[in-house]
Amino acid sequence: MTKYASKKLYDEVIDNGLCTLCGGCTGLCPYLFLHDGRVVRVHQCDLDEGQCYQCCPRTHTDMDAISRAIFGAPYGEDEIGIAREVFLARSTDQEIHLKAQDGGIVTTLLSVALTEGMIDGAVETKLDGEKIPHGVIARNRKELLECAGVSYEPSPILEAFNRLPRQSTEKLGFVGLPCHVTCLSKMRLLPPINRAPIENGKLVIGLFCGWTLSHGFHQFLTERFDLTKAIKFDIPHHPAHSFDLYTKSETQSVDLDELRPFINTACRYCIDMTAEFADISVGSGRALFKGWNTVIVRTKAGAELVEIAKKDRAMEIQPIPDESLTNLKRASLNKKRNAVHRIIDRTGSRKDLGYLGISGSLADKLLS
Amino acid sequence: MSQQELSKDPLKVIIAGVGGQGNVLMSFLIGSAMIKLGYSVTVFDNYGASQRLGAVASHIKISRESSDMSPLLHEGDADVIVGIEPIELLRNLTRFGNPEVIAIANLRPVYPIGVISGEAEYPELDTVIETIRRLSAQSWIVNASEEALKLGNPLYTNVILLGVLLGSKALPLDRETIEEVLREELPQAFEMNKAALQKGLDLVKVD
Amino acid sequence: MAHIEIDAPGTTQLLLGNEAIARGALEAGIGFATAYPGTPSSEIMGTLAPIARKMGFYAEWSINEMVAFEAASAASLSNIRALSSMKANGVNVITDFLVNLQMTGVGKGLVLVVCDDPGGMTSSNEQDTRPIAKWLNIPLLEPSTAQECKDMTAWAFELSEELGMVSMVRSVTYLSHTRGTVRFGKLPANTKTARFAEFYDIDNPRQSRYTCGMQFHPYKQSEVLLNRFSKAPEYCEGSPFNAYSGPEAPELLIISSGICWTYATEAVSILQVHDRVGILKLGTTWPLPEGLISRHLERSDKVLFIEEIAPFVERSVMELAASLPGDHARPAFYGKRSGHVRAWGEQNLNLVIQSLATVMGTSYRSRQTLSPQYQSTVNEVEKILPTRPLTFCPGCPHRASFWAIKHALQLDGRNGFVTGDIGCTAMGMISPGSFQVRTYYAMGGGVGIANGFGHLERFSFNQPVIAVCGDSTFFHASIPGLINGVWNRSNFTLAILDNSATAMTGFQPHPGTGVTATGDPGKKVSIEALCQSLGVPVAVCDPFDLTGTIATLLRMLRDEEPTKVVILRRECELVRARRDKEKPYKMYVDPARCIGEECGCNRLCTRVFSCPGLVWDKEAGKAMIDEAVCSGCGLCAGVCPQGAIMRDAL
Repeated sequence: MTKYASKKLYDEVIDNGLCTLCGGCTGLCPYLFLHDGRVVRVHQCDLDEGQCYQCCPRTHTDMDAISRAIFGAPYGEDEIGIAREVFLARSTDQEIHLKAQDGGIVTTLLSVALTEGMIDGAVETKLDGEKIPHGVIARNRKELLECAGVSYEPSPILEAFNRLPRQSTEKLGFVGLPCHVTCLSKMRLLPPINRAPIENGKLVIGLFCGWTLSHGFHQFLTERFDLTKAIKFDIPHHPAHSFDLYTKSETQSVDLDELRPFINTACRYCIDMTAEFADISVGSGRALFKGWNTVIVRTKAGAELVEIAKKDRAMEIQPIPDESLTNLKRASLNKKRNAVHRIIDRTGSRKDLGYLGISGSLADKLLS
Repeated sequence: MSQQELSKDPLKVIIAGVGGQGNVLMSFLIGSAMIKLGYSVTVFDNYGASQRLGAVASHIKISRESSDMSPLLHEGDADVIVGIEPIELLRNLTRFGNPEVIAIANLRPVYPIGVISGEAEYPELDTVIETIRRLSAQSWIVNASEEALKLGNPLYTNVILLGVLLGSKALPLDRETIEEVLREELPQAFEMNKAALQKGLDLVKVD
Repeated sequence: MAHIEIDAPGTTQLLLGNEAIARGALEAGIGFATAYPGTPSSEIMGTLAPIARKMGFYAEWSINEMVAFEAASAASLSNIRALSSMKANGVNVITDFLVNLQMTGVGKGLVLVVCDDPGGMTSSNEQDTRPIAKWLNIPLLEPSTAQECKDMTAWAFELSEELGMVSMVRSVTYLSHTRGTVRFGKLPANTKTARFAEFYDIDNPRQSRYTCGMQFHPYKQSEVLLNRFSKAPEYCEGSPFNAYSGPEAPELLIISSGICWTYATEAVSILQVHDRVGILKLGTTWPLPEGLISRHLERSDKVLFIEEIAPFVERSVMELAASLPGDHARPAFYGKRSGHVRAWGEQNLNLVIQSLATVMGTSYRSRQTLSPQYQSTVNEVEKILPTRPLTFCPGCPHRASFWAIKHALQLDGRNGFVTGDIGCTAMGMISPGSFQVRTYYAMGGGVGIANGFGHLERFSFNQPVIAVCGDSTFFHASIPGLINGVWNRSNFTLAILDNSATAMTGFQPHPGTGVTATGDPGKKVSIEALCQSLGVPVAVCDPFDLTGTIATLLRMLRDEEPTKVVILRRECELVRARRDKEKPYKMYVDPARCIGEECGCNRLCTRVFSCPGLVWDKEAGKAMIDEAVCSGCGLCAGVCPQGAIMRDAL
């Protein structure tokens, strides 16, 4: 991997409309802060090589190298990435259902992992009083529940990991979007220095993602709704066409079209819908299986956790119908195709895929 | 009363250091002492903005014959330069030194902000010592700050250096007169200052 | 140090020029002294204030020079000798009152002492104040030695009374801050009665008297002023402060005034041309002693002017020469006009030697240049000596304030900037202040100029502006600017960096400190109460609470109210250290935690934060505390990203 530092990070990513606000570069040092939906450079750092550049999911990312390191296989053949198992699941815990999204599987799996001692804490998103997402570390069931539920705004989860002291020995689980997961994978390939060891990360749960909403979305929310009353957000799948806000007594909605201006431009260049480098990827059950999650198990670590969760009867499982799986794969492939086309529109050349390090043959396939 | 007379008339002395190190007090003590001995004295201290850890120097002119001397030395004009800080001594040697000058140095660096931030370099102390010797006819290079800390307070550095100046016999200054001035100006710390003065004299014998 | 209050005529002491001026005022029986701190004048009041009560006169640090001079004038109009001292910029501030005072004249002696700063070493500009004397017809005296500082200040009161107008004594840094031997004169008996002569006659109101520039016909007062001033030359002509030394008919006549006279004298001696060069010392430089000067102009073919900063005496003598009858000798004039003397910056002995040598057609080689080996070593060494730029003292709260301001402006993200002001806060322009200050003019200029920036939004201007000033500057000049902003709804934040002192000039008290010049309790004026009374958002922070201060600033920058005030209050470290003696914390760096130049820090503390007490150990690759310099304030502990800087409470 070529090595650069913060100046290049700004040129290539942050000032170039590619920043996903994953928090991978903030909390690393006193120079970069995430504030008000931007990564701000407060002081000049004159290093030639910086971890901020190295782990950013939008600087050059060699997808094959990551894939081989995790799975022993190259990247790209499968539309939804390497999958040992795909099924539908929902939590058997009623308390989790009240708070969590869809089937509550993420919270359930983390709860099991904590109980079993697989992890000491989970790095995930928590919404503050104003419903702005922040990265936190949840170390018990109560804290897990506080993090349950989706925010559609970008969340700087990785900042919470970056802030851990160097001597930390806590085993960690991560919950993130595909960009967070990619960042973590890059950190595994080139472990950051002066941080808590990345080896402490024992489990990565990725969330399916189409895009996040930023660029003034929060302002829009505060103008349209009384956020103090919100307990959950949802964007239900097609054929629904709305953004829903749940309060204790009702559901308020806006049409999805109103949200289009707020789609993070960086998301347009993302090829990963199902978080292909996670141990387990979790998404909604889509329209047919409201209240369920789609679960993709990818690695040995993921499989072990799922086994324990099954044994503990922490979740109810059913097979995923072929049609649903096909739809999922099609959606994922569409995202890849769109992203690659948009990238070459920007670079002006089929040969230049910007940050994306994929094989020539995969590129051709996606562009055909 | 002093037996000696000035080796030159007027005799020109510079006390150089960093703002806050006490060159103003030192020059006042020397000037007052020389007045007691019946000399005419002019002392210029540059301070003001320099006080914020900038480079400062006091120019002292001592004469039996002239009064109304100008406050500043001109290039190459110093007879004695005392440096409370080593590169300030060097700086003043480059401006006011000459092959006959006597130099007294406290070998305790105070780092300029440019050096701390990495934009500039502080010369190696060996180089500093060697250069002081090259730029002076006679020199005493001491660790007055260290000795002052042993006495309990870095503030004694100046009086120790006064002791070195005394011992160097560069000025027709005697111990009794300096002690009289110390007693008048700094009555509370007199005993400690006496000890510091003695320490300075001891350092001269060693070198 | 100096003891100027002793009643022992004939004693000799080593006095600063400024201390000698103070002694001169005492010997003239001063009853009223006012000033505003300003280098190089501050020691005058600094010397007078502590002895005022004992000696039976009133001394005051005023809120600014205008009020100081006005107050002193009141005393003078009431039969009490008064003195007001200030730096050059102070004269700019009092000029409106001064031009009006010239219309009315004064009662008992009123002396204006101005200390110029050639080279602008401790000022925002370089200014020669002498031309104001010519412009406003004020008698001007320039002492050349500490002794003259005393003698001429005393005489200035007499002169002022003889003429019925203010007289001006002008000093410069190299005179004010030089100690020389001064022989004391007598102290007068201490009986004074104040009485204001202008009265209201209830039976004949039209006969009432008043001081007023107008008299409803200013031109009539101008005539009176010129008549008063016309008596001045007579006093100056015979003054012992104008004196000649040298041969009867020298080849070259040097005309010199002020401290430059000592440079000229020494230069003549060094170049050994005393048999060919004569020096005419002028102590009264406006009006000129015309008779004396014309007589000497007759005797030389060449005249060289040594003065600073402007060619003031030079031009006045040339005017004089031009006005003399046709058959009068007209020598060649050398000085700033001809380029023989540098026309900017301060004069010094090196320069004067060079000017004199050039005019005399000789050359001068210093003891350094006479030895090529020494000279070459000097050249070598000069290359390796690092400079010593100004910085905030260790422990200075301004370092924290500008650090917080930098964070707030960067996080705010709209390219905001700081308008600066005079004092220690001015160092916000350079590294210790994180290079934040973008404009820098005069007292109160920061908030003044911010008023303008705050009204440019109609031209698509959206950069937030933070006007920074110190507490003393706030009282001196920023209040009208703040009120203007509030009233006209201008968009800016005024950040008052309140370190409870007029620090740059020597920690003099001001209205916010609750203490007066003489150490007596004064009514403490609360800055926040004053600002709150304007009905705008006011926040008070401790700059050492960096997180809180940054959050407050960010909030204020986005506040809908256009004009707001943030007071960053923490005591000046030098004031605290003098009082408490002990350091609050023992600071040290844990080398195991320090990651130095590695990613994650990149030497934030020594490369960016920049405090002289925190140094970089190159060999070890770690930061460390320089105990002799560190003030133990503890701020850096919160800056280190690895928590490697430790602080133990003492």
